Amino acid sequence: MLESETLVVLIALPLFSSGFLLLAGRKADKWGHLFATAIAGSTFLLAMIEMFAMVGREEANRALYQKVFTWISVGSFNVDAALLLDQLSICFVLLITGVGTLIHIYSISYMSHDPDRRRFFAYLNLFIAAMLLLVLGDSYLNLYVGWEGVGLASYLLIGFWNKKPEYATAAKKAFVVNRIGDLGLSIAIMVAFAVFGTVTFKGIEEQANSASQGAMVAIGFALLLAAVGKSAQFPLQSWLGDAMAGPTPVSALIHAATMVTAGVYLIVRSNFVFDNAPIAQFAVVIVGAITLLFGAIIGMAKDDIKKALAASTMSQIGYMILAAGLGPIGYAFAIMHLLTHGFFKAGMFLGAGSVMHGMSDEVNMRRYGGLARYMPITTITFGFGYLAIIGVPPFAGFYSKDKIIEAAFNLGGAKGIVFGSITLLGAVITAFYMTRLFMMTFLGKKRWSEGQRPHESPFLIWAPMVILSLGSIGSGFLLYSGKRLEYWLKPVVDKGGHKHEEFISHATVTTMALTAVLIGVAIAIAKYRKDIPIEAPEKVSIFTRAARKDLMQDQINETLFMRPGLAITSTLVKTDEKVIDGLVRGVAQVSLGSAKGLRRIQSGYIRNYALLILIGAAALIAAIWVVTL
Amino acid sequence: MDISYYLYLSAALFVIGAVGVVIRRNAIVIFMCIELMLNASNLAFVTFARIHGNLEGQMVAFFTMVVAACEVVVGLAIIVMIYRSRRSASVDDASLLRR
Amino acid sequence: MTGFVTPKLEYVALLPMLIIFAGAIIGVLVEAFAKQSLRKFIHSLLTPTTLLLALFQVFANKDLVTTNAAINSVVIDGPVIIAQGTILILTLISLLFILDVDSFAPEASALPGSEEERKALAIGKQQTEIFPLLLFSVAGMMLFPAANDLITLFIALEVLSLPLYLMAGLSRRRRLFSQESAMKYFLLGAYSSAFFIFGAAFLYGYSGSIQFSQIRSAVVGSSGNDVLLLIGIVFLSVGLLFKVGAVPFHAWTPDVYQGAPTPITGFMAAVTKVAAFLAVLRIFYTVLDGAIWQWRPLLTAVAILTMVVGSVVALVQRDVKRMLAYSSIAHAGFLLTGVIAFNKAGLESSLFYLLAYGIATLGAFGIITLIQDSQGEVTDLNRWAGLGKKSPAIASAFAFFLLTFAGIPLTSGFIGKFSIFSAAYESGNIAVVVVGVLTSALAAFFYIRVIVLMFFTDAKDATVTVTLPTLRSSIAVWGTAFLTLILGVLPNSTLSFIENLAIFTR
Repeated sequence: MLESETLVVLIALPLFSSGFLLLAGRKADKWGHLFATAIAGSTFLLAMIEMFAMVGREEANRALYQKVFTWISVGSFNVDAALLLDQLSICFVLLITGVGTLIHIYSISYMSHDPDRRRFFAYLNLFIAAMLLLVLGDSYLNLYVGWEGVGLASYLLIGFWNKKPEYATAAKKAFVVNRIGDLGLSIAIMVAFAVFGTVTFKGIEEQANSASQGAMVAIGFALLLAAVGKSAQFPLQSWLGDAMAGPTPVSALIHAATMVTAGVYLIVRSNFVFDNAPIAQFAVVIVGAITLLFGAIIGMAKDDIKKALAASTMSQIGYMILAAGLGPIGYAFAIMHLLTHGFFKAGMFLGAGSVMHGMSDEVNMRRYGGLARYMPITTITFGFGYLAIIGVPPFAGFYSKDKIIEAAFNLGGAKGIVFGSITLLGAVITAFYMTRLFMMTFLGKKRWSEGQRPHESPFLIWAPMVILSLGSIGSGFLLYSGKRLEYWLKPVVDKGGHKHEEFISHATVTTMALTAVLIGVAIAIAKYRKDIPIEAPEKVSIFTRAARKDLMQDQINETLFMRPGLAITSTLVKTDEKVIDGLVRGVAQVSLGSAKGLRRIQSGYIRNYALLILIGAAALIAAIWVVTL
Repeated sequence: MDISYYLYLSAALFVIGAVGVVIRRNAIVIFMCIELMLNASNLAFVTFARIHGNLEGQMVAFFTMVVAACEVVVGLAIIVMIYRSRRSASVDDASLLRR
Repeated sequence: MTGFVTPKLEYVALLPMLIIFAGAIIGVLVEAFAKQSLRKFIHSLLTPTTLLLALFQVFANKDLVTTNAAINSVVIDGPVIIAQGTILILTLISLLFILDVDSFAPEASALPGSEEERKALAIGKQQTEIFPLLLFSVAGMMLFPAANDLITLFIALEVLSLPLYLMAGLSRRRRLFSQESAMKYFLLGAYSSAFFIFGAAFLYGYSGSIQFSQIRSAVVGSSGNDVLLLIGIVFLSVGLLFKVGAVPFHAWTPDVYQGAPTPITGFMAAVTKVAAFLAVLRIFYTVLDGAIWQWRPLLTAVAILTMVVGSVVALVQRDVKRMLAYSSIAHAGFLLTGVIAFNKAGLESSLFYLLAYGIATLGAFGIITLIQDSQGEVTDLNRWAGLGKKSPAIASAFAFFLLTFAGIPLTSGFIGKFSIFSAAYESGNIAVVVVGVLTSALAAFFYIRVIVLMFFTDAKDATVTVTLPTLRSSIAVWGTAFLTLILGVLPNSTLSFIENLAIFTR
């Protein structure tokens, strides 16, 4: 590992810029957004420089390490605030700074009418800094700091328009659900520390093979809980849809390309934990599989374009989590899909933002239709993203999703067939709902009212979309060809060089996947060729009704985590309170029962307290007598 | 006479005091039981001083008496204050703070 | 007959304590001779000056190490210096709240609700004895960890306790509660003191000396199974564990914390713990170290019980002061893991933890004094709902302190917990670390519940307001928050300062 002196600059730049913009006050309103964008751009440049330098080094020397300062030093125990830039983190750094910069540029125009634009950009920079810290930390502890930081930035950005109470509520919901995930991470850190006496990735990895199975499983499940909370996976996915209340660039950056994928990063980074805890690893696969279907089904019924995209994000991250749970054969593909998804999903979100921009903030797709004629650039860039996500060759999603389906089948046996089929089914549904979304928005007859004047967005809005669409086209092949990304990540995620058995040929998988896409697209075209009613029809199958309600997720949470039989709470705020209360109940039913018992001791009578002291003293005497026997 | 009998006496006094605190209700009586426990300790100190043939234990006994006197000052002040506002020195009446 | 030898005192080493005692006595004279209207003003100058002078002297004594400060009765070494410094700093902070808020009865001897009390209220009288009482208590606390024989230890224990009993009863509002808490604290405190001195008698009986050094050599030289020694250890521990509030000797804590005037509660929770724990550490690390195989299992059981009971019962509390009381019980459990660790890291991390916890505790209790309705402080948690909207700054500060108690990274609580658990881990006490980690996670729930309540629940009660903090309270609240953050983000200079000094002298 090489020493480096410059890594900290990557984080420090946006961090200081954020603080500076927040402190600068109204005076900076005129140029604050440009300053923030310039900072984001320069972090991207730095990341590129690091990338080329890394490619130029020998494989063994690629990772860079920088100790910033000694954070905690107690006796023989040390925790450094240290950064690690290796083959895995550079992928993320490039994604974060690259997409981040584009979204800064986009926001200049998108937020131009907002009086608080400077504050918005300060938060964006804060987010970039925290996210970089998350992926650059060399230990779980440093990761945790970034993890909390992105949570904070996301909370601030979702609630940015917090004058509307529902938006503030959504922000709170995201906040509360994320705390549950954070709890998982902190438990993992504490257990890891108790077992290994260290919390650095390197230190734990070195001892991972010799550690007890129980500890590894415990850490694995705790990490999974963390990933589930952050990445909106089943059963904690409900916040993501509500988080769409935030400004669209935020949805694109945080809730599509970067922050929600932190869970995937966490699992891939902790490969040494999961590879030694097969039970936890299998749980990861199950969570991924459930979520990818869940998200896809919800996506079929949403009429709100952003919520439909959010459901699709959930589903796509489900793919990544599933891949990450497959072990060494899947890590690289999880990351590959993460990167390609970062391009096409961010592109589509920006496209959705552009549509909303042209349609005076209308989000209901039933009131769109035929927009292709009015917004050609948006349509084409969105179209590339659409082709990428459903997996049409040669667009990006084809390569990455194909590999995940193949890896799932290669689990072998019944497991392989089950998970392989799920991923295929997911592909069918994805093709269906994305086709539906595309047709409802850009094709067909116009369904908007006379007052609407749809128009193409200005240059600063479509330029980032064009760049991202290039990524949707090319990134898949670029990463896939010659197993480039697989070999690149191998030193981090697959040190053992596992041999993979092949149960199914590559050609078969590709054929099946393409068939799945065709089926999905065909159904969608057949269904949405006709006129689409402006109001959502009431008489729909129970299936659609359930999907519209996010598959009853809030309600399921309630029954799972809350007192059974509790009436559905009327407000989300109340729900939040109950989630926490309910979790306490669910997790600590026993504690509460005993708490009530223990409370009885606190009778208020002095003589009872004195009796307690007397009994305590007698018990200690008895204990010491036993000890010395 | 075996000097260890004094220790048994001391232990017995201590136990009587300790149990008395638990079973009596009047704050003054409870306080007297505590004084009994302190005096049991004094007896133990003095006995041990005798056994070891040095004066340190006896010295401690004097200090303990002084401390006990101080406790009386503070304790009676508090108990009288309670008695005045509640017209009762029963510790069971003073149980507003609980759970 | 040997001639009489004049006892030699090292005045410089004793000076910090002497300053405090002198200040306290002057304070008593002020009470006796100064005019009623001037007293509070004089105290508000005298008390901080005394504390600052003592603090200055403690710092000047930084490198002093002596066991002979008062003919072998007092030992001054690194841990004592740190403890005394911590005690003085924390007292200065709590003094800001004590001076600022009208928490104290106008006339403690007047019947609650009587004509006499109303008159005293009307002329703005205040029970200013609180200041000399505070100083006496602080002096006792400074002596407690420095004691080098059983008498000094006992006297220091009483000197620190007796004023606290009185101060607990001086609340201005809800006086019946306050008086009751004073009586409970006094009777149970005296009860535990009796155990303590009885245990001391047996240690003396076992070793033939009240000097710590000689008790130690007696313990080291034996098999450690002598019945006198065992009874001595247990009963002495009962007295000490009562003061730190460990289960099952904790029952007084919630009642007294709830009833006492809030600034005093903060003072008790933060500062008394420092003194008590340092004494515990000295006794177990340097006096009874030969009998470690006897006391360690005992303390392990007590620590586990304390952590579990403290965290679990806190879950169902509805009063914020009681909740913090249970949280302080849980923290006593965490601190006991530092005692069990029985290594240098254990001592260092305990010292850091005490400082960090003390600062955050003072901040939290200080904020409670600011949340009021027309009847005075509001401690019912349900009525704290929606505080985040009414007063985001104060609510955020309180949330920050709660996160510190929960041990979330970037707060001093995290560093403290982390280092204390790592010390226990190093010494091989895995069980206690595991319980500690699990109960911390459990405890995090009720802290976060309060945060959710403050920020995400609509206010049901419009009568609750946040009194605008005066300059003094602002300094105290934001100062403690700032220190907590600093100790969480850049703890290293403090940790290394402690590391250099934390060596017990026998």
